[in-house]
Amino acid sequence: MLTREETNRTALLQGTLDLLILRILVFGPQHGQGIARAIQLNSEDVLLVDHGALYPALQRLEAQQWISAEWGLSSNNRKARFYTLTAKGRRHMAQETSRWRTLATAMARILDLERLESLPKMEG
Amino acid sequence: MFDRRRRPQSDFSEELQAHLALEADRLRAAGLSEDQAQRAARQNLGNLTISGERFYESSRWLWLTQFTEDARYALRRLRKTPAFSITAILTLALGIGATTAIFTLVHAILLKSLPVSNPGQLYRVGKEPQCCVWALYSQGKEFTLVSYELYRHFRNNTKGFEELAAFQAGGTSLGVRREHGENAAETYFGEFVSGNYFSMFGIGAYAGRTLTVADDRPGAPPAAIMSYRVWQQKYGLDPSVIGAAFNINDKPFTVVGVTPPGFYGDTLRNTPPDFFLPLTTEPVVRGDSSMLQQVDRHWLHMIGRVRAGQTGASIQAQMRVELHQWLQSHLGDMGANDRSRLSQQTLYLSPGGAGITSMRQEYERWLQILMMVSGFVLLIVCANVANLMLLRGMERRQQTSLSMALGARPMRLVRQALTESLVLSLLGGAAGLAVAFGGTRLILHFAFQTITASPISASPSLPVLFFAFGISLLTGVAFGIAPAWMATRVDPVEALRGVNRATRRSGSLPRKTLVILQAALSLVLLSASGLLTETLRNLEHQNFGFEQNGRTVVNIDPVLAGHKPEQLEWLYGRVHDSLLSIPGVSSVAACLYSPQSGDGWNELIYVAGRPAPGPTENNLSWIDRVTPGYFEIIGNPIVKGRPLSEQDTAASRHVAVINEAFARRFFQNENPIGKYFGNAEIRSAGEYEIVGVARDARYLTNRLEEPVEPIFFVPEAQSVVFADAGNKAGEVRSHFLHDIIVRMQPGAKLSEEQVRRTLAGVDPNMPVMRMQSLTEQVAGNFSQQRLIAQLTSLFGILALVLASIGLYGVTAYTVGSRTNEIGVRMALGADRVRVVALILRGAVALIAFGLLLGVPLTLAAGRFLGTQLYGISQSDPLIITAAILVLALSALIAAVIPALKASSISPMQALRAE
Repeated sequence: MLTREETNRTALLQGTLDLLILRILVFGPQHGQGIARAIQLNSEDVLLVDHGALYPALQRLEAQQWISAEWGLSSNNRKARFYTLTAKGRRHMAQETSRWRTLATAMARILDLERLESLPKMEG
Repeated sequence: MFDRRRRPQSDFSEELQAHLALEADRLRAAGLSEDQAQRAARQNLGNLTISGERFYESSRWLWLTQFTEDARYALRRLRKTPAFSITAILTLALGIGATTAIFTLVHAILLKSLPVSNPGQLYRVGKEPQCCVWALYSQGKEFTLVSYELYRHFRNNTKGFEELAAFQAGGTSLGVRREHGENAAETYFGEFVSGNYFSMFGIGAYAGRTLTVADDRPGAPPAAIMSYRVWQQKYGLDPSVIGAAFNINDKPFTVVGVTPPGFYGDTLRNTPPDFFLPLTTEPVVRGDSSMLQQVDRHWLHMIGRVRAGQTGASIQAQMRVELHQWLQSHLGDMGANDRSRLSQQTLYLSPGGAGITSMRQEYERWLQILMMVSGFVLLIVCANVANLMLLRGMERRQQTSLSMALGARPMRLVRQALTESLVLSLLGGAAGLAVAFGGTRLILHFAFQTITASPISASPSLPVLFFAFGISLLTGVAFGIAPAWMATRVDPVEALRGVNRATRRSGSLPRKTLVILQAALSLVLLSASGLLTETLRNLEHQNFGFEQNGRTVVNIDPVLAGHKPEQLEWLYGRVHDSLLSIPGVSSVAACLYSPQSGDGWNELIYVAGRPAPGPTENNLSWIDRVTPGYFEIIGNPIVKGRPLSEQDTAASRHVAVINEAFARRFFQNENPIGKYFGNAEIRSAGEYEIVGVARDARYLTNRLEEPVEPIFFVPEAQSVVFADAGNKAGEVRSHFLHDIIVRMQPGAKLSEEQVRRTLAGVDPNMPVMRMQSLTEQVAGNFSQQRLIAQLTSLFGILALVLASIGLYGVTAYTVGSRTNEIGVRMALGADRVRVVALILRGAVALIAFGLLLGVPLTLAAGRFLGTQLYGISQSDPLIITAAILVLALSALIAAVIPALKASSISPMQALRAE
């Protein structure tokens, strides 16, 4: 997965892409291209998903039965494979989301520090 | 393919295509042209091929799918090169088959347990099985046999055994006839067993019932158990046999049951027992030879099942105490020797799951040697096939380089090559099973010639199949690893540039190493076969001390025919006269044991006028009882005095003839003629007068490297009266002579039919047990040595052929790839001789290294053979030199052919070839 500034490639934690895909699918069934496009648009072009990452992630999610898939017709009548969130997937997503939020909050707290909280004195 | 719910590759490709299309649509909608949209879409999508590959590789069963593909590919390739494939498979079949055949025997003889329940709980008394009767109260290193009284003492007192059973050591011949419907008795092999024998083993009857403790009581109706083999072969599984009346040695018995098929008793032997009789019927069956009531005649083995929680060590300790108790209780009956040895008497318990292991002991060494030999052959076979595979790999170098240039990962190629090797070796293994089956049958036929009903089967059992499969896998990996790895050490550029442009074979080091290995192993096998063949020759041509030609040994059993001791003289007289009447027969004599018959009888000797021998003195001698004319017939010269003759009758004084070893042991430098000695009891010390000394002759079949043992000969017509009941019975038994020696006039032949008819005329109830020439009897004792020597020689020649082929292959390949170089050399003035020398130099170097490696291995092998050699040293320089010469010669021939071809290359042709 790339960010637009190709000089600073940001590696994502594993499972992050999975969470993003699940979140996107909350809004309804979507095919692969649609999911990639949605992530790009809704992150304001910060996150660009390439297919080396997307499809393995989709296969992983499908294997875990968090999403289900089936062929259908797209909005412009193209045949495409649509993915839907399952109940199991919904539960997993909720868990992961709260974990992510906790992590993000903790990260933010430290990154925003003005000064250090009480630190034990180092003995000489 | 194995993942049913798995999406097919095509479905995923379709999805990717759809993605592409949708992305192109979006870009077109954003204003790009058709072309630009397509290109941008493709760019955004990334490498489709890699996505597809990743999808493919995410399959859990990938390795299996790939393996199946590789296997199919390998089969296709093998089919395309039938010459290579057939050669490789046949070679592998030979190697794997030979090893599996030996393993079948090893498993049956060395590894298998008795077919009884829970063999792990069984313990037997004795570490080294003895057979078949020990007398008195001391038994050398350990008590292995017991008398009936001693058995009962152990049985009643050793609480650690759940069941302790006893059975006759060695078994006995029985004459069996069904009461109604059969007139003539047939001889079978049988065994006396205690009442709890079958319950101790946990064996139930296949039909009817087994013996119980109730049958083993004096006065109980005599019951017998028949083996399944006899029930099937002689009586056709006739159910009326169960409960039918039979005559065993002319005494009435009832057959109450049949053992399960596959049960062969307590000992793995060539002829398993066909009848099991209770111990208490022994006096009835054996009459005057009975040993049941003799407390100091030990003729029973013991095996017991231990109680849960008991250890062998604790029971052993307790039994030792009980042994000493029993010995103490008989202190008054012991002679001085036994009393002085009393404190040394001990016994050992050993695991009894394999029964009495005499066959194991006898054959263990041979099977070990055979296993090593076949292992060597397998190694040589592997080396050969590896060489072939390397060659194949070389030929495919261009293709391999191409694959690697196109992106094939080396691991994948290695796996492909290994799969091919495994397929080859599994095919070879399957073919090898057929070889193994045939080989085992052949070995069984030649090694155990006297088998009537061997419990060893040649058909592959499950462990044997597993072994063959395992060995095939190992073999495949062994000869496949090197070529597989070599296949990938290819510099693609170098290979694509072209072949035949080398002055030295850079890649042929592994091949050369293999040839060196083959040469070394061949040398070892050749030397070993030389040593073993020479041993056999020495054994067969040693100075036996008697004449073998023109003599036939006819083996009878007068006990079976129910003869009484009083009738024996008449019997043997009649046998002598009627056999003499056959045309061509020049003389006849009978003896208790003929030389090299495999059996013997020994006694304690007391010389008249001397004190009783001390505990360290060896006063043992063997004994043989003979009819007049024996020494002349057997060709054993008398060196002093006279042989036994007709003048020695029941009325004349008791005489004996001794051999030189007897004179040396008991009379040292004195003249033994006219001196007196006796056996068994010191009060009989003046019993026999020595009238002659015979030349030492080899009667016994073991310990051939030791000097001949003392033996004395007494006449059939004379009998000693002993006081002790056991000695009395022994004396009676010794008059039942087994072997009749018939000497033919030169050129005359004796037919078995004639002999049987003649003896049936004397006594129809006394069948001929066995008839063979004395030469056959002697040679029969060396059948294992012969087999080992023959097999090792066969494998040695095979190894030599394979090594020569290997050398030929390497040399031919060298010539082939150095064609350009040779052409240049010849164009620059080298003549034919120099070219030949050039090529031969390489070959000679290989053989030299092979010898360097092989000679120390040969010496080690000689040490391993060690005790199996006879009359020859372990590192006999003659044999080793001969082996080296043979190897060098065949190597020379193998290398000279391509060398000559090389020298006949025309330079123009060579330079032109590419």
